[in-house]
Amino acid sequence: MATMTDDPRLSLLLALADDELIMGHRHSEWTGWAPHIEEDLAFSSIGQDEMAHARLLYGLVKEITGRDENDLALGRQQGEYRNAVLCERPNRDWGYTIARQYLYDSADAVRLAALADSSWKELADLVGVMRLEEKYHTDHAEAWFERLARGPVTARQRFAEGLSACIGEAVALFEPLPGEEDLVADGALPKPNEELLADWLARLGEVLEEASLDFVLERHGPPTGEMVPTSAGEIAGEREDLRVPGVARREGRWVHEGGFEGAGGRHGRHSEDFLPLWDEMTKLYREHPGARW
Amino acid sequence: MVSTEVDALELTVWEALAAVHDPEIPPVSITDLGIVDRVRIGDGAVEVDLLPTFAGCPALDVIREDVERSVERVAGDRSVVVRFVYSPPWTSDRITPEGREAMRGYGLTPPGEGRVFLPLASLTQGSQTATCPFCGSADTVLESAFGPTLCRSTHFCRACRNAFEAFKPKGKTIR
Repeated sequence: MATMTDDPRLSLLLALADDELIMGHRHSEWTGWAPHIEEDLAFSSIGQDEMAHARLLYGLVKEITGRDENDLALGRQQGEYRNAVLCERPNRDWGYTIARQYLYDSADAVRLAALADSSWKELADLVGVMRLEEKYHTDHAEAWFERLARGPVTARQRFAEGLSACIGEAVALFEPLPGEEDLVADGALPKPNEELLADWLARLGEVLEEASLDFVLERHGPPTGEMVPTSAGEIAGEREDLRVPGVARREGRWVHEGGFEGAGGRHGRHSEDFLPLWDEMTKLYREHPGARW
Repeated sequence: MVSTEVDALELTVWEALAAVHDPEIPPVSITDLGIVDRVRIGDGAVEVDLLPTFAGCPALDVIREDVERSVERVAGDRSVVVRFVYSPPWTSDRITPEGREAMRGYGLTPPGEGRVFLPLASLTQGSQTATCPFCGSADTVLESAFGPTLCRSTHFCRACRNAFEAFKPKGKTIR
């Protein structure tokens, strides 16, 4: 396989495709287990869309490397996957699941909107198809955001805990790609990731402030109840290391200043949660190489 | 081959395509669904470009095989090449009036005009999202933007108290 340094287009394609594949895999884990049947269908369908989008993008990878879609999805070693760490985290509870879907799909919408203007026509065409389908994902996430954020205390609390737990790693969806300067220079990636992150974060900040949930941008941490303020506005367990890395409010706007949490996904470095996911996802393919179904 | 013969063959191919039906919506032909983008008669091959409705639709492989079989029957010595293409993206306004009518007859509400609806029933109480394909009432609620296939949403008719499905609108523009 061509390495990332051979062709920076691969680092872009694999970041997009692997995010979709791994996110789709996590969504599919709700099949049969969601709180009610409509959500069972919703997450199964969203997962199916995401995997289909990964397959479209792997089709472009195939043109560069010669490896087919199944082999790319299921036949790579762990360090060859370029998804952001956020995508590989287990589903935990409903609050975390919705928080992550909201953050992931709103971030995905920002980068896809930019890529619709990519100078790489084959990619722009696929992105055009993807965006029409992703609209249903963002609608789903936004409706659940409203329901949980304005819902009963327990729903709001668990949603806030979910946001707190994944906001830092969501920022790292915009970690710069290997070879990004070349991609931006030739217009394949119309805007650098730092600019996409600024757009997403500013809008997210507004939405969270509107829902009085912007405290999750200041403090994040373990998925436990201790991160939600009491009625007096106090937060138990506040510590320096619970700040979201590199996120700050400046002149009325949420901005990114430097660091990333959970960075490394774009270079093939993953969390402890990736191995069990990879092991399950690729087991059949590894035991029966070239299997078709 | 002179152009009139090529034209005649192209027409025959389109007729063969009109006889291929969506396996998940049997009364609707793929031409009425608007997924045939182009037919090209080359010297050695008949090429058919198809636009997937939804990228993850599992019926795509079946449709491709059905198209190959159907076109091979009329292609004579030419080979048949069937491809899925992604430009232009398929949108639900490509469905013909005949296709919409066939859907309704099948108990599936055809896609609405453009507006994409909210996905949760509790947030859309009272809003009219689709017309019941059984009784024609507009007094319906959206149960979910997702359903048994990627292209369908699920609804309930408060007039005749039937659950029903609709083909999702898929638009050209993102709002």
